[in-house]
Amino acid sequence: MSLARVNWREVFARFGLLMALVALVVILSLLSDRFLTPSNVVNVLRQISINAIIACGMTVVIIGRGIDLSVGSLLALTGVVGAGLAVGGLPAGLAVLVAMALGTALGTFNGLFVAYAGIAPFIVTLAGLTIFRGAALAYTDGRPISGLPPLFMTLGYGTFLGLPVPIWIMLAFLLVTHVILRFTALGRAIYAIGGNEEAARLSGIPVRRVQVFTFAFSGLAAALAAMVLTGRLNSAQPSAGVMFELDAIAAVVVGGTSLFGGRGGVFGTLVGALIIGVINNGMNLLNVPSFYQQIVKGGVILAALLIERLVATRRT
Amino acid sequence: MSLLQMTGVDKRFGQVAALTGVDFTLEAGEVHALVGENGAGKSTLMKILAGVQPPDAGSMTLAGRPVRFHGVDEAQAHGVVMVYQELALVPSLSVAENLFLGRLPRVVGYRDLYARARGPLAQVELDLDPAGEVASLGIGERQLLEIARALAREGRILVLDEPTAALSASESERLFAIIEKVKASGVAMVYISHRLEEVFRIADRVTVLRDGRLVGTRVVADTTADEIVQLMVGKAVRRYQRAPRTKGEALGTFEAAGPGLEPLSITLEAGEIVGLAGVIGSGRERILPTLFGLAGTASWAGDPVRSPRDAIREGIVLVPSDRKQQGLVMELTVQENVSLATLSRLQRFGFMDARREREQTRTWIERLSLRPPEPRKPARELSGGNQQKVVVAKSLATEPTVLLLDEPTRGVDVGARTELYDVIDGLSRRGLGLLLSSSDTEELIGLSDRILVFRGGRVATELRPPFDYEEVVAHVTGARQLA
Ligand SMILES: Nc1ncnc2c1ncn2[C@@H]1O[C@H](COP(=O)(O)OP(=O)(O)OP(=O)(O)O)[C@@H](O)[C@H]1O
Ligand SMILES: [Mg+2]
Repeated sequence: MSLARVNWREVFARFGLLMALVALVVILSLLSDRFLTPSNVVNVLRQISINAIIACGMTVVIIGRGIDLSVGSLLALTGVVGAGLAVGGLPAGLAVLVAMALGTALGTFNGLFVAYAGIAPFIVTLAGLTIFRGAALAYTDGRPISGLPPLFMTLGYGTFLGLPVPIWIMLAFLLVTHVILRFTALGRAIYAIGGNEEAARLSGIPVRRVQVFTFAFSGLAAALAAMVLTGRLNSAQPSAGVMFELDAIAAVVVGGTSLFGGRGGVFGTLVGALIIGVINNGMNLLNVPSFYQQIVKGGVILAALLIERLVATRRT
Repeated sequence: MSLLQMTGVDKRFGQVAALTGVDFTLEAGEVHALVGENGAGKSTLMKILAGVQPPDAGSMTLAGRPVRFHGVDEAQAHGVVMVYQELALVPSLSVAENLFLGRLPRVVGYRDLYARARGPLAQVELDLDPAGEVASLGIGERQLLEIARALAREGRILVLDEPTAALSASESERLFAIIEKVKASGVAMVYISHRLEEVFRIADRVTVLRDGRLVGTRVVADTTADEIVQLMVGKAVRRYQRAPRTKGEALGTFEAAGPGLEPLSITLEAGEIVGLAGVIGSGRERILPTLFGLAGTASWAGDPVRSPRDAIREGIVLVPSDRKQQGLVMELTVQENVSLATLSRLQRFGFMDARREREQTRTWIERLSLRPPEPRKPARELSGGNQQKVVVAKSLATEPTVLLLDEPTRGVDVGARTELYDVIDGLSRRGLGLLLSSSDTEELIGLSDRILVFRGGRVATELRPPFDYEEVVAHVTGARQLA
């Protein structure tokens, strides 16, 4: 492509998100000299890690044209079960693995209802949202679980090569998700189903099984995030993760993954989570009252969706 | 003064120049055919007229007044109505709702709506329940429904983009009669088709596009099919006739029954191509989806086929008739679409084998001469005929033992059509069994070893070569039976 013929719309469609992030960073570093410091950058990354991990799972579900509203409650339930088992004497490593297996199983449960009973993902996971929350409250009798073994402390506060462990976990999970979506047959099937379920079915793709996988993967992601959060709080709270599903969905759609399925990726989700995280962090640094912070955050999500719409309608 | 004048129209899609300096005129009350190879720019030119896409350059006057349409609604307000090549119905809504889509009254009174739907349906002689879901209709019925919808809008310019691609001879006749009537009422029409004999039957003038340029406009009465083909492709194209084949051994027997289809069985030989003919409602449209496990009950060689996965496991593959709904994932690239039915073969330990995938795609792009030969282009950006080739490539890549072809050349131009026939013939010579359901009689005659004619949900006649065009048509329409 010659330089004279730069197609700005295409450039914008591909890199607009990054440009928005860069613009935000530039503006905030002008407004506050505490913003663009190494410690604050690490801070932002750590703050977004939990949301980004959940959002990885959410990305996979949404590309397959689903939605998962149960992740916040699922996080709470797997968190208290993992912590409860560890406190009860199970080796900490095993307790973590059991919690993640439980998360995968609960996600599978969602997926089975969606794929085999044909109930809308919105409804199934809305039910999951209340069931898992209730189970978490029942399991703990509404009380937090503390006195955790040191492994959890490491998950929340450890460092490796100078970076906090949560950031490493986030990066590793992003990479795994990216590889699944881009380089495996399964990932290809997810895009195909989200883009045109009927065409995928007629091509012999096991549509239902793939759908179940997307929800199971989302459950796994939420359980992983639960382990990190439990470490950060040094306790497991049955009330943890309320409204986390909305932050995750926001990161996914701000990151350019279409709610209509078939399009998007985990790289955009990371940028989306960063944009939201940077806005939160910047507003804290600037002492914006929290009520206004919520308004700004909502405004950013709307603006992102509006831009996506404009780019999408132009294309047809 | 012309009714419509388009001057110097340019349109680029990225690097592709879809239209370059096209001057197109349309006179009041004429039927103006627009022809050209796949990707020549026919649909693009008409989408610009209908306000679907803005041109990059060029101007338009309607009845002498300069106009610029910023959307379909503006074009419709000026009386420009288009029936798209890719059908644009909402499958989950009823026939009547689709008919009046965009113009539904604020409060929908269903009884009233259904009553009003009868007029437009009668106009295209479509005997449908206005309350029925569009999802259950065959492609030909959907096409007629689209035409009825366009007619109900009562424009002064009507654009028909390959309206007969899914219609059999008798339905096409019906459409021609409608076109005559509409023309008599003073409406101008643009008629896009790959079937030249239609152009010579109904058009007053014909314009040829080649690679986005207008290469000529002729008065139909003063030209010949040879001249038009010459303008389109720059060379003469032979009529296709498959060389005779030797008898093969039996592959297996299909048994099927379902809604609108009486129990039937078809035994296929290796290398045999069985043509399926029949008008809309004859059951012909239902047979291939049923055999593929999508409706009714079916079995192959004694094994039940309950789902597409069952079918594919048996080595049966369908090329569906509706490429937009059933064939393509528009968001994905050509390569990703071609690989879709062969994912399990293109993977190693779950990971896509990028090199094998590239090679497979390249092979099929060459064998079917996809244009542009670009594996990374999103499917949505291809012309209709080239999209069809991608769907065919996807199915053929599975190397099936039985291939079900449902209108495989819908929207494919004359040149590429012959190439596709060669591919189909090649497959049969490698021992595949093929069922070919087509509304194109020439195609059936050119390829089939025998033709099953459907009427009233069952096989009414079996025809064997040598086939006679008139005779096949007579059987299909039922004229032969009455006589
Ligand atoms: N939305 C789009 N984005 C990118 N390229 C496009 C788009 N629509 C059409 N094209 C390209 O423009 C060219 C003209 O396409 P068009 O659909 O007008 O062809 P056509 O003459 O209608 O062909 P067919 O007979 O196959 O329907 C093709 O090369 C096609 O790939
Ligand atoms: Mg076209």
